Amino acid sequence: MSYLATTDFLDDKDFVDRYLYTMRTGNLDLSWMNAATEHVEVQAANKRRGLTFRDLDVGTYGYTELPAISRGASSLAPRGAEEPAGLPDMNAGTVRKADVWAYNIEGYYEEAMSRQWNAATDIPWKQLCETELAEDIGKAYSQLLTFLTEVEMIATDVPSKWLSQISSDYFEVKNFIATQCMDEARHAEVFRKRALTTGYGLMKASPQNERNLKFLREADSFAEASTTLHLQAEGFVLTMFRFSEYLSPTDGDKKLFRLVMQDEARHVGYGMQHLKWHLENAPESREIIHRHLAEAENFIFGGIFAPEVLESFVILAGKGSKHENIRAGVDVVNRFAIQQVEEYFERLDKCGMPERRERSTLWQVIEMAKAGTAANHA
Amino acid sequence: MSYYAEKYFFEDETTIEANQRLAEGKLVLDWFDVDAEKVRVVPSDFNRGLTYDDCNVGGYGWDAIPENIRRNYSMAARGSVLVPGLPDLGYTLNRKSEVWSNNCAELYEESKSRRWAPAVDIDWEAVRANPLSPPCTHAMRQLCTALLEIALGILEFPGRWVFWINQEFLELKSLHCAQMIDQARHVEVFRKRAMTIGGLGRASVAIEQAVKELISADTYTSGSLSVFLMLNSIVLGLFRTASSASSVDAKMFRLCMQDTARQIAYATGQLRFFLGEHPAKSLVLHEHLDQTEHVMVGILAAPELLEPLIVLAGGGTSAAQVSAGRDKVLAMHRGVIGEYLERLASVGLERRGRTRLEKVFS
Amino acid sequence: MSLPFPSVAFFEALRAGMNDNAELFRRLGYFDCTFAIRVTENGHDPKQYVIAFDVYECTDVREVHDLAGEQTDFILEADAAVWRDMFANIRANGGADSEHGINTLTHFGEGMRCLYDDPDGHDKMFRFAESIQEFFNLAANVDVDLRAAA
Repeated sequence: MSYLATTDFLDDKDFVDRYLYTMRTGNLDLSWMNAATEHVEVQAANKRRGLTFRDLDVGTYGYTELPAISRGASSLAPRGAEEPAGLPDMNAGTVRKADVWAYNIEGYYEEAMSRQWNAATDIPWKQLCETELAEDIGKAYSQLLTFLTEVEMIATDVPSKWLSQISSDYFEVKNFIATQCMDEARHAEVFRKRALTTGYGLMKASPQNERNLKFLREADSFAEASTTLHLQAEGFVLTMFRFSEYLSPTDGDKKLFRLVMQDEARHVGYGMQHLKWHLENAPESREIIHRHLAEAENFIFGGIFAPEVLESFVILAGKGSKHENIRAGVDVVNRFAIQQVEEYFERLDKCGMPERRERSTLWQVIEMAKAGTAANHA
Repeated sequence: MSYYAEKYFFEDETTIEANQRLAEGKLVLDWFDVDAEKVRVVPSDFNRGLTYDDCNVGGYGWDAIPENIRRNYSMAARGSVLVPGLPDLGYTLNRKSEVWSNNCAELYEESKSRRWAPAVDIDWEAVRANPLSPPCTHAMRQLCTALLEIALGILEFPGRWVFWINQEFLELKSLHCAQMIDQARHVEVFRKRAMTIGGLGRASVAIEQAVKELISADTYTSGSLSVFLMLNSIVLGLFRTASSASSVDAKMFRLCMQDTARQIAYATGQLRFFLGEHPAKSLVLHEHLDQTEHVMVGILAAPELLEPLIVLAGGGTSAAQVSAGRDKVLAMHRGVIGEYLERLASVGLERRGRTRLEKVFS
Repeated sequence: MSLPFPSVAFFEALRAGMNDNAELFRRLGYFDCTFAIRVTENGHDPKQYVIAFDVYECTDVREVHDLAGEQTDFILEADAAVWRDMFANIRANGGADSEHGINTLTHFGEGMRCLYDDPDGHDKMFRFAESIQEFFNLAANVDVDLRAAA
């Protein structure tokens, strides 16, 4: 399975002869100097921020004037360039702005480029390597890290799958996807490295969560994939990072979680702004998103109490594995799980899907859990 | 194509009971005493930080990856304790020799360390303050347009494969992520460069046809060879030649060169590894190159790339400038082809005497 | 007193400059490369120096008489006049202009040549291009005598 260019350039006598003629005589055609493109000269609006994609949002080059549909064949021609006949069709399947765009996509990209960090050098490894954790804390932490390193790169696999299917007219989205892929590789890296410094190594894989990853991989459209990956899954993970920072056994680990949190929040932000844009510009897909979220919530309920994840959290939250620690830890984890779900519905609310709560079995379960917790504390 | 969970958990007694047990603090703790390989890695050089090389120990390291991966098609982290029930995520690249290079981890660490940001690492004020001559300005706009097309193509290539590569090859997939962000950076910088001085030029049928053929290769190894080694050998030559346009361009193209050279280093390493395991497959790669090398002519000789490069290399469009530029570009073409063939020869693919490119570039 | 060129003292001065600009080189990233500099007089009488870099620092500066036994990624070879012109340009401008950068000088191999046994080594000249150029640019702050030897 491969594509063959419409000519074999070495057998194309006219093509080769023209090259040899040019190189022999120096006779240049120079018609490209009169390319039918808009003349612009951009500059940085904010010199400290540098020249950003927002500065490039001008005329036919910009994203504001992008039409709702990228019509015709999708080539590699950069947006705004003159497009001669004969450009190959890259067969991008995703050509509607509504399906991929997000408010502030240009801002998210520039922020991502500006805030890249290095897991090898930006974490205080010396301090962490010299820290001995108590066995129950160390094992619980290693188990949590095992889960995190296991799931992070789903957010590389899924966006990269769609990258080549998105029209180059939406290169800001493709560029953002590239930064997300790098962010996730960094997360998988930092969690793996931290686990290998604890003395306990990597522990148990998580089948239930893996099946959720499979669900994320197999979404039918970019909008469905993004909603469940960026908004739902990464939203849950963001809450987990915040709790993990709070529960971290050392200052170095707190820094680790603060750094990953920044990236994750950006991805969640993109997911929210994408869903908002999508629902406003493709309202016909609302029911499809509901259907997809219904199954995502099924996975949440099935996996939310995966022992290898939440039990490790309980021990970390309770600061030990004795009975009284576990009681304290369960209390924290119950609140954490409720917060994860509440924040998920809040995000959907802000994106224009407030009705999800009423339609969601997950919301009903959490309401019951909250009522139960309140009764226990009364 | 979609996947649904094996049960509707909201109505599953087992799940509901398990959730209830946890909420009551009755922990299962089946993970607590798993038979994990216990290690404690430390940085071998604290200046360098904790690298993947430091983590290449025991069952966690890449040295432990077998040629044929048969036991893990999930995202379970390499070296973690695998348990029943892990799903098959659909990975189709499961042979180490198909994708691996022994420099993956090194190049990944290097790419993170050597990252840069076009928004602030290029002196855009200096670009405006020190304009090129009008012909060179036009030429730079056109060159950037062509480089943009190529960068958009290369950006797609890792994305086409990462989804299908087994997660056991973590360092390689991570390197792909670095390659994607490298290309995003190139897309960004060339667009910005062109738009500070007038905007874009004309897209090129020849370049795009050539790039599409390269990124559409039917196997990963032939694709990596085509894109990361062949195409990037051209790109490196273009960067080297164009960097003489101005001081700002010298820095811009040097930074781009760094990214591109890493991709080349990966590709040569991957070929070396692949041919080390399957020396007989050099015949397959030779046949692929016999078919594909024509695209190098398609790109180098595309008027939308060739002519602006001549103008920039010569400094203008007067007869003397074009003559000087032409000589430099001809030398560059020969250099690009020569270095490309040299890289192939170094991994065991000797093509001098076989390649059709010698018809045009000898 | 001005340092003679070429000399170990001169390259040691560049190394010292690198230490003084540690943050710049740290920001540029890992710099893992060893190359040699060969300075000839009309193609003869080479003086050769091995310069090694590891992580963010210059770790070794040595004069050697025979490069055959040295593990270098590449060799930058040029007549003394070319080197002097390059360093004069660096000193005049605070850094090489577009005609005097290492990449431009070696691109067509006329004034300066990049020699190597292994293309992987050659490609390191590109992988670390910015760090290599900034290393040579440090000459802007070195008191060096660029007059030709009598």
